[in-house]
Amino acid sequence: MKQLITIIYFVFATLQLTAQLNVNLSLSGRPPAALTEWSNRKDVLTLIIGPAQAQLADVKIKTTIKTLDGTVAGSTNLNTAKTYTPQQGASTILNALDVLPLENIVFTGKYQSALIRSGKLPADNYMLCVQLLRATDFAPASAEVCKTFYLAAYQLPILTQPTNEQELNSRLAQTAITFRWTPVVPSSPTPVTYRIRVFEILEHQHDVQALRSNQPLLDKNIVGTTQFIWQPQISMMPYTNADSTQNNKVNGKKFIWTIQTLDSQGQPLNQTDGNGESLSEPKVFYVTDKKTKE
Amino acid sequence: MKVKVAAILLCIMFQSFCVSAQTKKPSFSVSGTVGVSYEGYGLDRNPSGWTGYSPRKPWNQVRFNFMPNFQFGKNFSLPFNINLAALPTNFAGPYSGYIPGGPKQSFKQWIANPVNNIAVNPKYKWAELQLGTQYLSYSQLSTGDIGVFGAGVDLRPRQYRIKFFIGTSQPGINYFAGPPTITGAFKRSNWMFQIGKEKEGKYEVAFNFAKGKDFIASSAPPPLTIKPQEGFVTSLVTNVFLNKGWYIKLEGAQSIFTKDLSTPSTLLIKSFEPFIKAHTATTRDYAGSGAIGKKGKNFDLGISTKYFGAGFQTVGYPYLQPDRLDYTVNTKWNTWKNKMNIVASLGQRVNNISNTTLRANQFIGNLNWFTQFNDKWSLNVNYNNFGFQSASGINPYGIKNVSNDLGISPTYTWSNSKMSNLLSFSYNYSKYDERDVLTGLTTSNNTHTALLTYVPSYFTKDITPDFSAMYFYNDVPLAKTKLATISSGLSMPVAKKKIQLRGQLQYNLVKLNAYTGDNNVIASCSVDWKITKKFSWNTYLSTNYFKYGNSIVPNGANYLESTCRTGFQYKFDTKQMK
Repeated sequence: MKQLITIIYFVFATLQLTAQLNVNLSLSGRPPAALTEWSNRKDVLTLIIGPAQAQLADVKIKTTIKTLDGTVAGSTNLNTAKTYTPQQGASTILNALDVLPLENIVFTGKYQSALIRSGKLPADNYMLCVQLLRATDFAPASAEVCKTFYLAAYQLPILTQPTNEQELNSRLAQTAITFRWTPVVPSSPTPVTYRIRVFEILEHQHDVQALRSNQPLLDKNIVGTTQFIWQPQISMMPYTNADSTQNNKVNGKKFIWTIQTLDSQGQPLNQTDGNGESLSEPKVFYVTDKKTKE
Repeated sequence: MKVKVAAILLCIMFQSFCVSAQTKKPSFSVSGTVGVSYEGYGLDRNPSGWTGYSPRKPWNQVRFNFMPNFQFGKNFSLPFNINLAALPTNFAGPYSGYIPGGPKQSFKQWIANPVNNIAVNPKYKWAELQLGTQYLSYSQLSTGDIGVFGAGVDLRPRQYRIKFFIGTSQPGINYFAGPPTITGAFKRSNWMFQIGKEKEGKYEVAFNFAKGKDFIASSAPPPLTIKPQEGFVTSLVTNVFLNKGWYIKLEGAQSIFTKDLSTPSTLLIKSFEPFIKAHTATTRDYAGSGAIGKKGKNFDLGISTKYFGAGFQTVGYPYLQPDRLDYTVNTKWNTWKNKMNIVASLGQRVNNISNTTLRANQFIGNLNWFTQFNDKWSLNVNYNNFGFQSASGINPYGIKNVSNDLGISPTYTWSNSKMSNLLSFSYNYSKYDERDVLTGLTTSNNTHTALLTYVPSYFTKDITPDFSAMYFYNDVPLAKTKLATISSGLSMPVAKKKIQLRGQLQYNLVKLNAYTGDNNVIASCSVDWKITKKFSWNTYLSTNYFKYGNSIVPNGANYLESTCRTGFQYKFDTKQMK
């Protein structure tokens, strides 16, 4: 009798093992810091399930995000998680939208508060673990697979020179204007391109209106450095004797400039933050005729 | 409902106007300006087919402005502000989309295009109706940067302030693969509301509410990189102005912002209904600003600080960069019988404050010191220091950029019975160091600039010439750039001072490393003709000829860029005509 029970147990155990699904997880080593952006980019996360050898019960995906010391930052709420039916003889390919559905992931403590405030987890090394569970009793339906990744939010450049509302001498500015900005933090693994643009603010125009509606006088891509010396080749003489720009506080011309940060594919580096186009907060500067002022 | 409220307000305004009109016959006047200008741009590049230099203005542009103010009696005014451009030239941001050669814009898109401004603000006593495109600034943390086409009111009964505006800040624009590629944009509707109390020069307290929402269906095909967003912000502003020039300014704000409306809704993040419903891409964060100081005749001192949480975002300032803390001390000091003037500021900015491991520090210090020693000599000294440093993260070294700028400008003036002379010299040294995060090596970028200016002023002649010479030298590893410039200007009135002529000529020699120098000549002139007291004709011509040496291929490539701008401006005021 004992032998029979042992044989039956081994048969069931073997069936259980062969019934387990094979899962393959692929995760970018440095995914976007905003977790909602993972689902917008197909290259970030891919989970391949199967193919199943036999008809299997429905499964749920248990996803856990941990720090490298094992602290759990967040995991799937299995009660509300979506159910999947593995296909017999065919693989199922899923992406971040299915594997990391933020509406079903419960984050803990400081990770939850960071996510609610900024949409991002604190900068750190993390591990993403995925396991399939049977939908009925949450028993393991696959082995747990884990991948490590590094999260760090990019801070766009801050324009430092010319400073906001700085008055530049027209004699100097007519020959050269030096632009400086802070680099992207943290530095990107692939070189970023800083696209610098300068717009003239015409009479009767508001500052941001000029940025939104005018053709730029300067539009240049800079790679690897945070300074650009512009030779404007523009006469900085005011358009009329009175004043070129009604809104100007000073006699001269008024400009607005900004930096757009692009990744190695030429796409905006930060697509979900701020204005969505990785445009740094613009600054205004004047080119004034000091002689006239005096 | 919104239409009803607007109609009631209009009725109240016009009824009040009619009541006052019955008691006193109103006087009527119109004042303002009207003008039209044309700007032509030309670019001729040689050799033929060379595209190394791109056009930077529209080939032709006509601009029209009409800004009359109809004044009915003492209390009712009807100011218009109409500024139109014949061609759309939108360029930057998710708000761009109209590019010459692309699909034509509809009338709705044209009227809401930021290149055009059509606004009318009828005002009766303390009540103002706002119609058309308005650039309304409610506060530093709520809304202020963006133009909205719509309707609203600004009511100021006694010391109360009630403001409301609703409209569209961006029409929907379809993505267009091109060429030319059009980024596309979602239609964004905005509303803003302020309620508060203000006593001018004493205090101001106001609550602000601002909201913006993109419509997903407004753009088909939708933009590839732009996400539909929704944001709501509340803020409380308190400004107090005390005796002897002391002031305190405070503002606190909370934003709830959905960075991608196409993400699923969630209960894990608290909504703020009925204003905004939470999605998985919703963030909720805070911002605050404060300033305290004293303004005096000869001495100003102020401390200001700003904090923006990592998830703080508002549709009223779409380019605002969050996740930072700034604090600055500013001072201005006049002394030595007002012959010495010192302006200084010292501050620090901490970026990426939410990510403790990658926090970046930025130090900013500025000093400007002007001294008038006597009738002849004056000296201006300025010094700017800027430092930026961040932790290394996964790189061997952290980012470290340091900039130091020192400028010295002595000026000497002297005169005799016929003329006065001004001779000014300016020298600036700038050093900018950048550290490589992989090797730790620091690259120094040194710039020397010297400028000499001479301006004679004749007591008996109307001509005003000026002369200047400049030398610029920039040195970075593998690139040494030298620029030498001489320029001269002349201005003079002619035709019984009805026409003011001004001209300027500049020659630049640009030399990069051992390459043959590039030559550049810029000539410009303007003719301002005051045809009558109120009617003027202004013309501005500018040309820029640039010839490369052998620093680029093809050697000797050159271009001629020219701008012609001419326009008529008429000022009118029926009061003066009477």
